[in-house]
Amino acid sequence: MSEESDLPQGGSKMKRIITGNQAVAYGVMLSHVELISAYPITPQTTIVEELSELCARGRVKAQFLKVESEHSAMAACIGASTGGVRAFTATSSHGLAYMHEMLHWASGARLPIVLVNVNRALGPGWNIWNDQSDSLSQRDTGWIQLYCERNQEVLDTVLQAYRIAESISLPVMVVLDAFVLSHTSEAVDIPSEEKVDGFLPPFAPKYPVDPMKPVSYSGITTPEYYLEFRYKIQKAMEEVPEVARDVDHQFRSRFGRGYDLVERYGKDEGEVLLVTSGALTGTARTVIQKMAEKGHKVGGVKVKMVRPFPSKEIGQALQGAEKVAVIDRNISFGVGGILAQELRAGLYHREKKPPVFGFVAGLGGRDITPDVIEEAIQYTLDHSRPDGDILWLGLKK
Amino acid sequence: MPDQITFTHESEMPYVPISQGDMEWNKTGTWRTQRPFYEDKTPPCNAVCPAGNDIVSFILRIVNGDFEGAWNLIREENPFPGICGRVCFHPCEGKCNRGRFDEPIAIHALERFVSDFASHLPGQKVNGTKRQEVSKKRKERIAIIGAGPAGMTCAYHLARLDYDVTVFESLPFAGGVLRTGIPSYRLPREVLDRELSAIEALGVKVQTGVPLGPAMKMEDLRSYGAIFIAAGAHRSKRLHVAGERSRHVLSGLEFLKAINLGEDVDIGASVAVVGGGNTAIDVARCLIRLGKHPIILYRRTREEMPAFEEEIGEAIEEGAEIKFLVSPVRIREEKSLKRLECLRMKLAERDETGRRRPVPVPESSFFIEAESVIVAAGEETDLSFLPRGVKKRDGIVLTQTNGRTAVDGIFAGGDFASRERTVAHAIGSGKRSAVAIDCYLKGEDPEKVLQSLLVGNGPSISVFPFFHPGGPSRNPHVVAFEELNMDYFEKARSEKETKYPLPERIKGFFEVTSSLNERTASEEAGRCFNCGTCNECENCYTFCPDASILKGARSLSHEVDYDFCKGCGICFTECPRRAISLREEAR
Repeated sequence: MSEESDLPQGGSKMKRIITGNQAVAYGVMLSHVELISAYPITPQTTIVEELSELCARGRVKAQFLKVESEHSAMAACIGASTGGVRAFTATSSHGLAYMHEMLHWASGARLPIVLVNVNRALGPGWNIWNDQSDSLSQRDTGWIQLYCERNQEVLDTVLQAYRIAESISLPVMVVLDAFVLSHTSEAVDIPSEEKVDGFLPPFAPKYPVDPMKPVSYSGITTPEYYLEFRYKIQKAMEEVPEVARDVDHQFRSRFGRGYDLVERYGKDEGEVLLVTSGALTGTARTVIQKMAEKGHKVGGVKVKMVRPFPSKEIGQALQGAEKVAVIDRNISFGVGGILAQELRAGLYHREKKPPVFGFVAGLGGRDITPDVIEEAIQYTLDHSRPDGDILWLGLKK
Repeated sequence: MPDQITFTHESEMPYVPISQGDMEWNKTGTWRTQRPFYEDKTPPCNAVCPAGNDIVSFILRIVNGDFEGAWNLIREENPFPGICGRVCFHPCEGKCNRGRFDEPIAIHALERFVSDFASHLPGQKVNGTKRQEVSKKRKERIAIIGAGPAGMTCAYHLARLDYDVTVFESLPFAGGVLRTGIPSYRLPREVLDRELSAIEALGVKVQTGVPLGPAMKMEDLRSYGAIFIAAGAHRSKRLHVAGERSRHVLSGLEFLKAINLGEDVDIGASVAVVGGGNTAIDVARCLIRLGKHPIILYRRTREEMPAFEEEIGEAIEEGAEIKFLVSPVRIREEKSLKRLECLRMKLAERDETGRRRPVPVPESSFFIEAESVIVAAGEETDLSFLPRGVKKRDGIVLTQTNGRTAVDGIFAGGDFASRERTVAHAIGSGKRSAVAIDCYLKGEDPEKVLQSLLVGNGPSISVFPFFHPGGPSRNPHVVAFEELNMDYFEKARSEKETKYPLPERIKGFFEVTSSLNERTASEEAGRCFNCGTCNECENCYTFCPDASILKGARSLSHEVDYDFCKGCGICFTECPRRAISLREEAR
């Protein structure tokens, strides 16, 4: 727990060494969130601890609502957001799964709630470590999903998330890796409040609660109109990449840094392109650089936005690739790595369809070391086609 | 139904499902399968009060700062709040649901507080300095024998019913056992006088110094429409041991009466007090105040003592010595000292009173010496003057619960007709008889009327609806602790009356405890759960998911809006005090 003098004032010249979870809390603080409702779960807990401290000290002027479950936490956010209040919650793994019903409700009611999910595997076997199965299994709930690579990106993505959410009236899930980001400290620039205020205006709901004009929200919707409401959600989702790019553009001009929805890095020509998301990308960057230095034609693609799935942007990023390797830190049982599947579907309509090598690795927090990544790339270089839809990395056999 | 809107193109539609107007046309009340409704129930304190006080309601008035209103409300049932607040054994506190949570509400202290508060009100009528001219609407005259708590309560309520009431008292003072039996350190005389004269101020005539006997016979009272006999139990029971009738052997009542009437008693320095009831304890505490050394001899153990636990504790605190399992068998006199031959006792099987029977330990006799002996082994009635036809059994007059004796027009109550000899029971019996006499004179069935006035399942009655018909009523169901919702209460210590320090209080006959003040009384009243009684805590209003709790302009005017109430029962569950009931919807 930080001492008073230790609290970030924001806008200082020096970066501060903070964990990913602290970066979340400071992002929330700078976003002037008015309702925080959460239930603790490892590895999310320190986010809420930090926020409760900030609330107690008056640094965050939010209602901090203790609840008995994640389901209630999201329900509280839904109520607050309906009432025109900027709402926040954070969770992980089983907590997110428990929220499932309310996730649908938040998006169906078009509420711009921001949720931070710290990626953690689901049990059993009981496991508190990192993988993406929790957030990716919520990919059909109508939430925008943004995955982060570094702690700076975590803080910045929280700020961007509220802008995106409130522009398009859809909830946003910001995702970071358990422990690798959540509990690991990095140098982070914490921007000043004034600077953030210029970027993120107060929340102005489109259908505010007005006691003088009573209306009923989210009431029964007959088959006659239900489909149209779903159509509108999909339409909004289709607009998200454009909105997010615009938000990022404004962010860059104000803060001097930004994040592509899909980032192509490494040499311009790439015989093999490696696709990753989350903190794993950081390791991949160094592996690819080393292999490129050795003369391999390899490059990398970082996927930040997983919902809506930016097929167009990924298609562009993969242009010219002869083979694509994807490392999924997740699995959809019966199919395989989720990113690989989405990517294959996205490539289907393109003329050139490079073979997709779908690697699954690092489930339940097993380290994905540079050697593991190199093994994946080397395999892809060595094979014209993958031996199967799922290529297990590091499997004991 | 408002106008229905039809969309033909998705672009006309809002992007969220939202009504364009209110939804009040949708009467969700039709979905209801169970119906909540406001219904006050009976708190255990009310149910157990022998005097039939509406305790929960007077406490609620204290909470609202209406101390005078609280006092007036008690006097609807009981003319003696100042007396009961001091000397009642407060069974209400024993049953108080709060006792299951932390400590019971100090109900007696609150009752005393409102009475003491009222005594300081400017221009109030209680002092009895001015006798009200009461316009009598009824011709019937009623005679009451005995100006003790039962007789005076009966007189009070009959006077409120506009009867012409005369009370005949054998002693030169009104008050009965309240004056002769209860020492002033427990009940100051000015409190007694205050509350008695308030009854006289209603037009009740009290004729003192008129014992039944040659001067006035029962037959002389024939011209009265009804007679209520509440002559008390003023005779001390005897031990039936040798030497009991000698000098310096007194009865407890004799002694207390002398002390309470300010007479000197020649008694010596050391006194043996025989008995374990309230009289024995009162005697011992008086003796201490007179600078004597009392030794109480009781044939059972402290557990079986009939005296009130608190009084026993205070007596011991003040220096009374109690020898348990001791029974005197002979009183001798030796060199102006009383020499009591005693046997040690042991407890055997339970007797008909439920207490274990003391039996002598063989060859255990020993001696106790004292300058005098006071026998306080219980009281009995003097039934010698009863008119023919009045039935009696085991030393009390036999009556129906309404006080009717076997002789038409003659009623009896108080200690005279009951074994439950407490002030509160006397008040309750006086009240029941007042109602029964009214019924008798009007030719109505008293049983039916009394039945309708029962508090909870009785036997106490509340006369509030009798005097103010058509008001709200209570369900007789007595609210149990398990029916309350403890989520809304925090533990809080009871506000206690302060006691004078020991060395001070044993020096004289001034009152041992002092009254609560306005702040402590309000705090204490605020601890009350208000079992079964709506106090507008607003939980129902706050929690109702259908905004179906309606509040009127008046206080306590909550209603359920059955147009929209879906019958979820949250109000019922979250009501901390069971003031809301739930029943299946009849369809």
